[in-house]
Amino acid sequence: MTIFRPREEERVRELLADLERPVELLLALGPEETPLAGARDIDFSGEARRLVDEIAALAPQVTARIEQEPPGFERFPAISIRPDGEDVGVRYHGLPWGFELSSLVGGIREAGRVESSLEPESIEALLALDRPVTVDVFVTPT
Amino acid sequence: MLLAYRCALAAPLVSAAAIEATEFPALADQKDVWAVPKIVVDGVPQYEGAVHERVFVQRLVAPVFE
Repeated sequence: MTIFRPREEERVRELLADLERPVELLLALGPEETPLAGARDIDFSGEARRLVDEIAALAPQVTARIEQEPPGFERFPAISIRPDGEDVGVRYHGLPWGFELSSLVGGIREAGRVESSLEPESIEALLALDRPVTVDVFVTPT
Repeated sequence: MLLAYRCALAAPLVSAAAIEATEFPALADQKDVWAVPKIVVDGVPQYEGAVHERVFVQRLVAPVFE
């Protein structure tokens, strides 16, 4: 059984068809935390592996690689979205399912762009930073 | 979520991660996650909900640490 239904598969294929540069998905696997009750029966790492493999199969510019507990990763599973194979600090911690699939696919699309889609003022403000900034966005699948 | 990713892709000093709250409940509890999306900057909970790009970037470069 595949992750995507046929219509979703076609949509993902369309969304990722015009990437301007290669994007690598590094799936980091390792010990998982105990999820909320009701989610215990899900094989998060196995599903994440199928997901990145299926996305890579649908998009010619996307490749998937899997590593066990790579350095710099604390939570598993995690997907690092890497433009041109470079770690630029874009990650998804957990299994992106339900509506959150669009966050992963959208992240891949953004990573596949050569020019940022942010407004010039935003880019200017971000490039003026003189210290590292980490943004975590907590999400849920529904 | 995409705004955070765009910021990380545009600026080398910014990193951005989505965190599935139901898979990491201890961390979500620690960061006072009651509603999503919940934005946490440099480990400090900031605000909930979607905001305009200008506001998002402003809150990212000048977060409130109480």
